[in-house]
Amino acid sequence: MFLYLPVALTSINIMIPVGLGLAVGLLSGLFGVGGGFLMTPLLIMLGISPTVAAATDSNQIVAASTSGTYAHWKMGNVDFKMGLYLLAGGFAGGLVGVQAIKVLRATGNADFVIKMTYVFMLGIVGIYMFIESLTSMKKKKTEEVKTEKESKMSKFLKSLPFQTHFEKSGVTNSLLVPVIFGGFVGILAAIMGVGGGFLMVPVMVYILRMPMHVVVGTSLFQILFNCIEVTFLQAYTNHNVDFILAVLLLLGSTVGAQVGAVFGRKLKGDQLKIILAVIVLTVTVKIIFELTLNPSLLLSQAGGH
Amino acid sequence: MKKFKFLILLSFGFLILNFAFSDEAFAMLTVKENHENIKIDFFYHGSTVSVSGEADSGTDLIIKITSPEGHQSLRKKGKVAGLLWMNVGELKFEHTPNLYFLHSTRNIDEILIEKEMDKYVIGYSALRRHTEINPVANENEKTEWFNEFVKFKESSRLYSTSYGKISTTVENGTLHYYINLNWPYQAPPGDYKVTVYEIEDKKIIEIAEAKVLVEQVSIVKILSYMSKNKGALYGVISIVIALAAGFGVGMIFRKSGGAH
Repeated sequence: MFLYLPVALTSINIMIPVGLGLAVGLLSGLFGVGGGFLMTPLLIMLGISPTVAAATDSNQIVAASTSGTYAHWKMGNVDFKMGLYLLAGGFAGGLVGVQAIKVLRATGNADFVIKMTYVFMLGIVGIYMFIESLTSMKKKKTEEVKTEKESKMSKFLKSLPFQTHFEKSGVTNSLLVPVIFGGFVGILAAIMGVGGGFLMVPVMVYILRMPMHVVVGTSLFQILFNCIEVTFLQAYTNHNVDFILAVLLLLGSTVGAQVGAVFGRKLKGDQLKIILAVIVLTVTVKIIFELTLNPSLLLSQAGGH
Repeated sequence: MKKFKFLILLSFGFLILNFAFSDEAFAMLTVKENHENIKIDFFYHGSTVSVSGEADSGTDLIIKITSPEGHQSLRKKGKVAGLLWMNVGELKFEHTPNLYFLHSTRNIDEILIEKEMDKYVIGYSALRRHTEINPVANENEKTEWFNEFVKFKESSRLYSTSYGKISTTVENGTLHYYINLNWPYQAPPGDYKVTVYEIEDKKIIEIAEAKVLVEQVSIVKILSYMSKNKGALYGVISIVIALAAGFGVGMIFRKSGGAH
């Protein structure tokens, strides 16, 4: 059955967006990522213009992350205090990132910077997570590595002012840490045009030392607010949100997020990390292929990445 | 008075002659299509448009369907550092229609001279000469990017050309023609012009026109209008529905024992 999308101006088999939503929602519930880095390129492949794909994806992430946050909150996996500090930093970083992208566009270097940021950030995060989780699976070695790393990191973190205890995560950190790293992710997310979940998750795991299950719930909480803001701005200023497409996507993603949250409970933290690392590395390889192989078309619609 | 009567008779005669000739011309080439108005509703997945009519026997025909000419900006890909394919800027295509369908009884190069093609913008070569592309360094570069433009449009099913697909039959010295075309769902709402050219001795001897109106109706029209004109309200509704859907599914799963 086909439905016509009034803003994307195209017709689509409803099973495709519902299926995509289900798959990406599953990842969202499992790993605490919005899935924008997967969904937006897939929608573009289906013939949706890049600007509509990115804006509509934000709208469906609101539904998926609400569903995921709700599921994780019920399991006691959301650190609201940490989430709010990350959100504050992310919001400020987003404003800086938007200005940075304006300057880059004016100089004509935007696409190069965006693509390179994608490759490097995804590559570094993917490789680091893969190696780290593989190592920590070998328990004995992990203990040694962790204590050595923690002592270096915690020394620095404890020297920072405004120390506070985050009860849900069971960690004590300076308020500056989530705000600064939230800001850093916000800048990158704005430059890359994504929610930043796949960057925020490693920050929470490796820098803030939060337990993986709390990381997933808190990341979704933070993504929810980011995407509400982006959806409203896209609808108000660019008129690019396709409501029908968003509904089709969220039909799948809300269910997928719930299923993901349930599955996530059955997997260990390291298992979750290694699967996410593989997905991130697969996307990195795909981008590298896109950058190096001859494209079939040399022209594309203006807008988006 | 006599002079006045003579003038009236002369005018009448002229009008009758004019009417007779114009009627004859109209009879030579006619065009009608089955869908004057294509309605885009919730379940729209494209349509079909049949173009048929009559012409003089022994002539060739070209059927052109176009949207109004306009300006289109597209991103161009190029190699950076001789290795990486990236968007390297924008190209502006002026005087190009968003949709361009051209179907003829025979290959247009065999039935029409270049001057006539250029005059009526018939065929990709004439469209290339008619189009302005900026920025390009020279004519070769313009041709390269125009070919890419056609490739891009054909992949979106908005440009197509063919010959030999128009069915023709001759009855009592009159040529009856017919073609059935798939109308792509990618074609946006708007006015489209169907032009039929009758050709003899490599020149156009008659032109007939018809119109196809593509418009959004019902919920598609309402949502399209809201997204463009009531952006804030549209955004708030989209967010509220997404939040409600997320919570709703969460509650259902909780009740069914999915996530505790």
